[in-house]
Amino acid sequence: MLKKYPTLRYILQRAGWYFLTFIVAVAINFLLPRLGNNNPVDIIMGKAGSGLSTEDARQKEEKYLQEFGLVKVSNGAIVRDAEGKPIKASKIEQFGNYLKMCSVGDLGTSFQKYPKKVIDVIKEALPWTIALQLPTILFGWIIGNILGALAAYRRGVFDKIFFPGALLLSSFPFFVFGMLLVYYFSVVIPWFPSMGGYANDLVPSFSFAFFQSVGYHYVLPFFSIFLILAGGQAIGMRSMGIYELGTDYIKYAKWLGLKENKVLAYLFRNAMLPQLTGLALSLGNMVGGALITEMIFSYPGLGMAILTAIQNNDYPMIQGCTLLITICVLIANFTVDIMIGFFDPRVKAGLQIGKGK
Amino acid sequence: MFVIGIALFFGTILIALVGPVIFTITMERVGPQYAPPGGRYFLGLNDLGQDYISLLIRGLQSSLYVGFLAGIIATTLGTLIGIYGGFKGGWVDDFLNMVTNLFIVIPSFVILILISSSFKEGRSLTLIGIIIGMTAWTWSARSVRAQSSALKSKDHIALAKMNGANTLKVLLVHILPYLFSYVFMVFILQVASGILSEAAISMIGLGPLDTVSLGTILNQAKNTGALGDGVWWAFIPASVIITVIVFALYLINTSMEGVFNPRLRK
Amino acid sequence: MAIFEVDHLSLHYLTRFGQKIHAVTDVSFTMEKGKILGIAGESGCGKSTLVNGLMGLFIPPLYPTSGDVRVAGESLMNRSPKDIRENVLSRKVSMIPQGAFNALNPTRKVKDIAADVMSAHMKGIDKSHIYDRLRERFDLFGMDTNKVLNSYPIQLTAGERQRSVIGISTLLNPQMVIADEPTSALDVTTQKVVIKLIFDLLEKGIFSTMIFITHELPLLRHVAHDIAIMYAGEFVEVGTTEQIVFDPRHPYTKALMGAMLSAEPGQRQRKPTAIEGAPPNLANAIQGCRFADRCPAARAECKVNKQEIRIVGERQVRCDYAQ
Repeated sequence: MLKKYPTLRYILQRAGWYFLTFIVAVAINFLLPRLGNNNPVDIIMGKAGSGLSTEDARQKEEKYLQEFGLVKVSNGAIVRDAEGKPIKASKIEQFGNYLKMCSVGDLGTSFQKYPKKVIDVIKEALPWTIALQLPTILFGWIIGNILGALAAYRRGVFDKIFFPGALLLSSFPFFVFGMLLVYYFSVVIPWFPSMGGYANDLVPSFSFAFFQSVGYHYVLPFFSIFLILAGGQAIGMRSMGIYELGTDYIKYAKWLGLKENKVLAYLFRNAMLPQLTGLALSLGNMVGGALITEMIFSYPGLGMAILTAIQNNDYPMIQGCTLLITICVLIANFTVDIMIGFFDPRVKAGLQIGKGK
Repeated sequence: MFVIGIALFFGTILIALVGPVIFTITMERVGPQYAPPGGRYFLGLNDLGQDYISLLIRGLQSSLYVGFLAGIIATTLGTLIGIYGGFKGGWVDDFLNMVTNLFIVIPSFVILILISSSFKEGRSLTLIGIIIGMTAWTWSARSVRAQSSALKSKDHIALAKMNGANTLKVLLVHILPYLFSYVFMVFILQVASGILSEAAISMIGLGPLDTVSLGTILNQAKNTGALGDGVWWAFIPASVIITVIVFALYLINTSMEGVFNPRLRK
Repeated sequence: MAIFEVDHLSLHYLTRFGQKIHAVTDVSFTMEKGKILGIAGESGCGKSTLVNGLMGLFIPPLYPTSGDVRVAGESLMNRSPKDIRENVLSRKVSMIPQGAFNALNPTRKVKDIAADVMSAHMKGIDKSHIYDRLRERFDLFGMDTNKVLNSYPIQLTAGERQRSVIGISTLLNPQMVIADEPTSALDVTTQKVVIKLIFDLLEKGIFSTMIFITHELPLLRHVAHDIAIMYAGEFVEVGTTEQIVFDPRHPYTKALMGAMLSAEPGQRQRKPTAIEGAPPNLANAIQGCRFADRCPAARAECKVNKQEIRIVGERQVRCDYAQ
């Protein structure tokens, strides 16, 4: 039955693969912070435990141990040994605890914002991140590719100026560019605000003033990501475009007397496919770069959340954020994969004919 | 174009190597906080009164070191995996492909953060270089694999195999020379990426704890609010240097591409 | 009335350094309805450049030096690229390129590519009309029309692709079709099918004349009515197939025929002989006969005197000393 619908088969195949990747990601997310073999609770207790009575300190420590899943727990109570001390859980058990917590959406409790739950902090920050990153990456990719295709088709003067310019743009690290933008457009010429998602004295609401403030604060972060992204895409697309221009089918299209728009459409559609693949590959990097930009601008998204978490050794927070970022990237990749499947008949045909090499 | 790229790049290396000779490097406090550029210290002082010239040169050395280290690791790892998979084909290839894809999709940035944050002490340049290298190899593996599997079907390779050369020998003697130029280009991009990654990871405070790097300079600048106070010398020189290095490397890479794919030239 | 006339056509390229490369010099021929002209020659003899010129595609760095090309009396010279694209290409002169696989846009179905051709040249027709006409036409080709039209190029066999390209190129009933090595990538059986198809279409009047370019001389014998032999940008001999194959006059033609393996009675003992040397560099002005360096019958005067075409009856021969 599945053979009849190659697209469906393709989607399911990709979904399965992404699920596998997700599991690996969760495992990595769990393992890596524990590489250093340091007990986060000790570090935290070092800070939080000062000035507490021994009994209070012990209780607090046990609470953290439990929350971290570092001790054996049965029926919600800590399992103790003969001396009444909590028994440390093995790594496997820790992982089990972790999975259990995750599956109910409990990513732990944040330290710095105690007793706020990690998931709540993320819920607040996530919309900001998505609002900033989604349009930026989308537009950057689309416009960068269009410009690149134009440069490939027209060549000449446009290309001579455009190409080095785009290359230079793509060389900027995201945060460097962000800093430069802030410096010029916020300090030197104070057009735009340099920090935050909205003005400090405003409270999020559905008022016009609020949205206006949000808009102002949106501009610089948007451009610092968008321009670099577009530059990078343009470079790639230009190369692809130049390559496709020399292909036989473009020559044939011209020989047949097809309209210029049609030929451009052929060119774009075919050069876009490797770019889509490239998008799938670099999504991870783009998101990372955008996150750093958030940090520069103190934009209240996941970037800032991670930054403050790192600065405060807030392990649950760090872990929770990275897990969420990974999930977002996986979803985005999956979406792009589906799109590739739709747009490239060769992919679908490849599945029909079978793995013929 | 190539010339400009090479010139720029070697210029920065020159500064890194020769700089300490020309300017005396000192990490001591030599003046007031954020003293503006002037006279001897023509790049100003940072928030601890340290000389930016010294800081930048040191930082440049560090960043270059990390970049190269990461680049070497990533390129070697990626090339080995890519060549082996591409050449062998079959299930070996499929398996390596799957692993590579896995690591591509999971953001390396995330892995970097996770690993770095778990090393609360002992974060040295070398460690960071190693970590970056070990997360950045996926891209090289992909590219090299594509090239290698294309080469596999070339005639002289088949000849060598027929003559009974074992896989390793064939790989080293026949394929590698062909791929060398390609691998070199990959290496350049990996170094650039390594420098950028180091700057990024230092920017957010997960950088080396014992030395200065271009990224840590920027981190300092941000944390002490130099940005908002208009203390441009705190971050612009470092930014410029990073961008220039990366730009130079990209130029080199692009011009090499032009050599191998003549249509890209005029 | 001649469908296609070429009058002393010369074409040149302008390199970046302002150098003129005389890729085609003084080519003349006419074609009547129902005739196939074969053009044969070594690689690099200027065939591709000539083809571009014959279609009116003078796109820099290719420029016409002198001469005229006429389709049904209408000249192709000095017309804007837009004019050529709209009125000449696919409608009056059409091209079947080498290597059909790569000629078809891999991400577009055959029927869509064909529809693109129609909508580029015919204003205001609707979709259903297009597809009907397509189906009608492709039904003549002896393939599973529905399957082929709705497939992507990657799903078709080599023969189906070649026939699709022929179909697309002849969709608008051009008067003249130029076929550039249409059968070289095919196996022998498919070759026969394609050639039969060409004759079919010619007979049905789908197109009126054809230029068949190939380096396979034996093929020309079966396909062409007339043959032109091209060397270093010039036609060195033009005549009917019989004349060229059995009574070649020009030394180059003779050498070419000698280079052919022949299964003719009496010819089997003959060993093929290669022609030594290489064609001249067309960037430099060439004195005398271009073939002189390699001509087995060359005389001293050959290197000095430029050889003009001598018309001997229906034939052209570019050699003063040909018998």
